[in-house]
Amino acid sequence: MTTREDHDDVSHGGHEAGHGGVGKYIAVFFALCGLTVISYLVGNSATLREKTPGIMWAMMMAVSCAKASLVILFFMHLKWEANWKYVLTVPASIMSIFLMLMLIPDIGLRTRWYAEERWLYAPPPVEKHEGHEAAHAEEEKATGDEGNIFEKKTKASH
Amino acid sequence: MSHDVHHAAVKLQYQPSLPLGNGKLCLWLFLSTEIMFFAGLIGTYIVLRFGAPPGTWPKPHDVHLVEIIGALNTFVLLMSSVTIVLALESSRNNNAGMAKAWMVATFLLGSVFLGVKAYEYKEKFRHGIYPAKPHSSIYDKADLYYLQACRQRLEGIQKDLMDQKASTEGLSEEQQEQLTHCENVLNNLVKFSEQSAANATDVLRQQRAMEIVASAIYPRAHTANSYEHLIDYLAAEEADLLHEKTDLRKVISEKKSEQTALKENKVPALEKQAAAEQNSEEKAKLTGQVTAAKANQEKLAAEITADNARLAAIDGRLSLHKFLTDDAEKEHIQHGLNDHPDYAFLRLPMKIPSGNMWASTYFLMTGFHAIHVLVGLIAFVFLLVMHLGHKRSYVIENVGLYWHFVDLVWIFLFPLLYLF
Repeated sequence: MTTREDHDDVSHGGHEAGHGGVGKYIAVFFALCGLTVISYLVGNSATLREKTPGIMWAMMMAVSCAKASLVILFFMHLKWEANWKYVLTVPASIMSIFLMLMLIPDIGLRTRWYAEERWLYAPPPVEKHEGHEAAHAEEEKATGDEGNIFEKKTKASH
Repeated sequence: MSHDVHHAAVKLQYQPSLPLGNGKLCLWLFLSTEIMFFAGLIGTYIVLRFGAPPGTWPKPHDVHLVEIIGALNTFVLLMSSVTIVLALESSRNNNAGMAKAWMVATFLLGSVFLGVKAYEYKEKFRHGIYPAKPHSSIYDKADLYYLQACRQRLEGIQKDLMDQKASTEGLSEEQQEQLTHCENVLNNLVKFSEQSAANATDVLRQQRAMEIVASAIYPRAHTANSYEHLIDYLAAEEADLLHEKTDLRKVISEKKSEQTALKENKVPALEKQAAAEQNSEEKAKLTGQVTAAKANQEKLAAEITADNARLAAIDGRLSLHKFLTDDAEKEHIQHGLNDHPDYAFLRLPMKIPSGNMWASTYFLMTGFHAIHVLVGLIAFVFLLVMHLGHKRSYVIENVGLYWHFVDLVWIFLFPLLYLF
């Protein structure tokens, strides 16, 4: 027979201390610090940023998810909780993930299909251009990246 | 019948919905809504960031974000997560003193986090990065509106200083210098470039003339060789201007000699002729010629004044070139006039593509996170006045769950804002 009193004892009782233990918490803390260092190094790697930004972002997000899992499992004790933990965390997580999955292809990638006309009212894109006509190369050099939109226009009108 | 009674007596019993205390249940319900709240914010940020025109999203150094400060704050929050878990552990072992000590440590670490955040905000504000207009001086493009904003800002400063100069107070030596710097930028950088853009024969030249103002004021950190581009542009412009100057000098001296000829020979001769003429018809014709010659003379004088003004403007621009291309100034010019010790007080509008969007998302997300930290600190204050024996350990547990969630949010915010 289980009563509310018993439950309160279960959630607040001293015997839960056996689950964590100072040593475990310290180990988790160092793991979290180590993971932070990893994302810091990944984020500051010029090679990754220039060549494969997608991989860099994915790595940092993976590290963040790992850190989040560590915090949730150990510091928030979810590892040792009963099955109610799924009731409260799974729906919220599903909704969060769904939100992103719905927004990213719709809005997140919208500029990949901008009309020429729409670029006139948007901040100019910064892309790497290679192999221009010689005439444009000099102009490009002086304007920096921002000349692209006009260059695109002049090219189109030629 | 008796069977039913028996059945009910044995089988029916009280079942709580979830096997956990009310406080903890409420807190977890709250946290699950918080997950969605921050997921919404982070999702919006990701969408806006990747939806921004390719490559425009400001890099951390464009907006004075320092990664190492963010990393430090991450470390501080992680530490506080450990200390609060240790407080819970001590409390469960009925060690109230230790529990309180760990809670004090947690409170201090939380305060350090907020202090660092406040410092970061102050640095942003100091550089004119605000979440919204009218304080924000971020512009997406270097267009005519940008130049206009620069001009208005400079003219405002100039007017204030001039007013003070006219008043009895007068200007201090430092303010006199500020006025000189302000007028230098106003006339030689902004107005001259506006003129160049207006006179430009094609869109590209026009754009370039305006772009150069933006990169002199606030070059973006990650634009490769932006200083070299500036120097190249100025060198090309200097050659053009020197050419124009020689031509102008020649034109002016021609005009001057024509003017002298008119003044000393042609007009007196015509007047003399007109005075001597008897035929009234001829006389009227000659008087007309005198008026025309005098008008011509005035027109020449006006042209010479305009040409001289242009010469002065060119000289001013060339003096600015000298300053911008000076090797001794290179270190400062690379960081732009807004970071130059003599010119930083101007706080000119900056061109940061997608910068306003960045500022909105940055301040919204870190602001909401900071509010959560603040609420956590308030909860800590309540805990600190309690006796934290094992009877109260569930309070520490609940506050701890909330605090870990705050830490969790920062775990995602740090890479997204500082490293992406």
